[in-house]
Amino acid sequence: MGSGPDNRVEVLAASLRRGFVAEPSRAELSEDALLVAAARDGDRVAFGCLYDRYARMVHGVLLAKVPTSEVEDLVQDVFMMALRRLSTVRDTSRFGAWLAAIARNRANDYHRRWGPEDRRPADEILEDAASNVSRGDDDRATEILDAVKSLPDSYRETLILRLVEGMTGPEIAARTGMTHGSVRVNLHRGMQQLRARLRSNRDSDDPERETP
Amino acid sequence: MSTGNRRTENDPLAGDSSYLWNGSGEPDPEIQQLEALLGRFQHDPRTPVFPEIVPQGRWKFFPARMRLLPIVVATAAGVAAIVFATLLLFHSSPAPVAVAGWNVSRVSGTPRIGPNVVSGKETSRLGVGQVLETDHQSRASLRAEDVGQIDVEASTRLRLLTMETGLKRVALDRGTIHTYIWAAPGQFVVDTPSAMTVDLGCAYTLHVDDSGAGLVRTSLGWVGFKLNGRESFIPAGAACATRPKVGPGTPYFEDVSSKFRAALERFDFEESGQQKRAEDLAMILGESRKRDALTLWHLLARVEPSQRALVYDRLSELVPAPAGVTKEGILRLDRPMLDRWWNELGFDNISVWRHWERSWEGSTPVPER
Repeated sequence: MGSGPDNRVEVLAASLRRGFVAEPSRAELSEDALLVAAARDGDRVAFGCLYDRYARMVHGVLLAKVPTSEVEDLVQDVFMMALRRLSTVRDTSRFGAWLAAIARNRANDYHRRWGPEDRRPADEILEDAASNVSRGDDDRATEILDAVKSLPDSYRETLILRLVEGMTGPEIAARTGMTHGSVRVNLHRGMQQLRARLRSNRDSDDPERETP
Repeated sequence: MSTGNRRTENDPLAGDSSYLWNGSGEPDPEIQQLEALLGRFQHDPRTPVFPEIVPQGRWKFFPARMRLLPIVVATAAGVAAIVFATLLLFHSSPAPVAVAGWNVSRVSGTPRIGPNVVSGKETSRLGVGQVLETDHQSRASLRAEDVGQIDVEASTRLRLLTMETGLKRVALDRGTIHTYIWAAPGQFVVDTPSAMTVDLGCAYTLHVDDSGAGLVRTSLGWVGFKLNGRESFIPAGAACATRPKVGPGTPYFEDVSSKFRAALERFDFEESGQQKRAEDLAMILGESRKRDALTLWHLLARVEPSQRALVYDRLSELVPAPAGVTKEGILRLDRPMLDRWWNELGFDNISVWRHWERSWEGSTPVPER
């Protein structure tokens, strides 16, 4: 680990350990710039802090696009790619947007590598979810996740960050570089569509049930 | 499923509970249930051990006794480069040389770089000055480590213009590309026959037809479209058309009503009489919702001066003008006031664009070759 930026990084690391940051501030964004600068100087603790801060976002972005079993490995891949390319980040205050783009791209690569036959069309996912006879919590959770993943790209990514990763709207905006407006729209419309799909799944599970 | 949420007529987003937005307020039981079930897929928070980071310009991975090696290699490479450049200078063929460029891989069919087919077995290189073409059955993917990725659809012709530090520029003569850019905003530019597209931190699809007309659809971030001083900003979820000799039309969200879209297309690109233009403008203003402030803000500079007050009034109903922005200032198109109002609309801050614009004053699309 580099010796120069240790103190400031330790201070930042301590502030990160204090807990969940609901709404990242300007100060936090400038902390990102400091962490990126320190990591570029060879400081692995600083890069670890960036990992702690952004891993949930990267995980959510990937989970929106690739099978659940592949996600943790791909999170590591994305951070390794980021580490190798750290010197190319020009606007360090937009580190999150840059990292999110790498994650999306890595997910696209995954599908290209495994070919379109490995992708599951939304209809098929919904059919599977609807025909799922087991009703344990795990099955129910998988069914809901599949329903989220059948939504349009921007909705599913934002909803996963909110519902799976537990991030708030402002935090999603700060971490991904999206505007508050975009995140609000995605959350609102995504929830509307998710509700409609889950309702439709329930109705197909229970054809006797009267629809209002 | 009941959410217990409210809606207001002017703000469709106001219907979202504050619980969905930031976890505050009265908890929504349905969202809590989803959180409880989906939480099991959450990221495992263990931080991995990362390998040593080699700062740019250092050679930590060489043992001390080998640290001269890179210097020797660099010197040898420099001498080789000088010899190579000298040979080129005296060589008769002026063919472009692929040094900086994009890696190209075949997705399907037989994409070509110049006369050479891109094989499926190895990655090819698109250098500055070279042309990538796909026929109706071919697709390709371009990638540059520090810039991003361009997926090239069938029947597309793409030229690489520059690959300089701080500016990567391509020309899309026809066809469709999907771009995912991770370079800093403003550094990736696509010329089309009818406008210049500037990446402002985003993913978008750009289509150009055989007449040179274009359409950009943004999926993430935002894009700037520009020609001869006429400019459009297109945030995620929005689209914008361009026409040769006219430039960018007015951007709109893709979920606008069909009446709104048709009126906007006529207003932007058809040479109709004043009466018809006034009717189209009335239709646009009447059909606009809060998020269509995007369109109305752009129209302020595009309508006749006599119609500007109408647009001002409707826009201020949807998004009140911030402090310091006056009707009189907007009617004379005071740029700082327009910019301040834009920043109130909830899209990205316009200063990113202004910064880019200052460095690109007077630039125009490159003509087709």
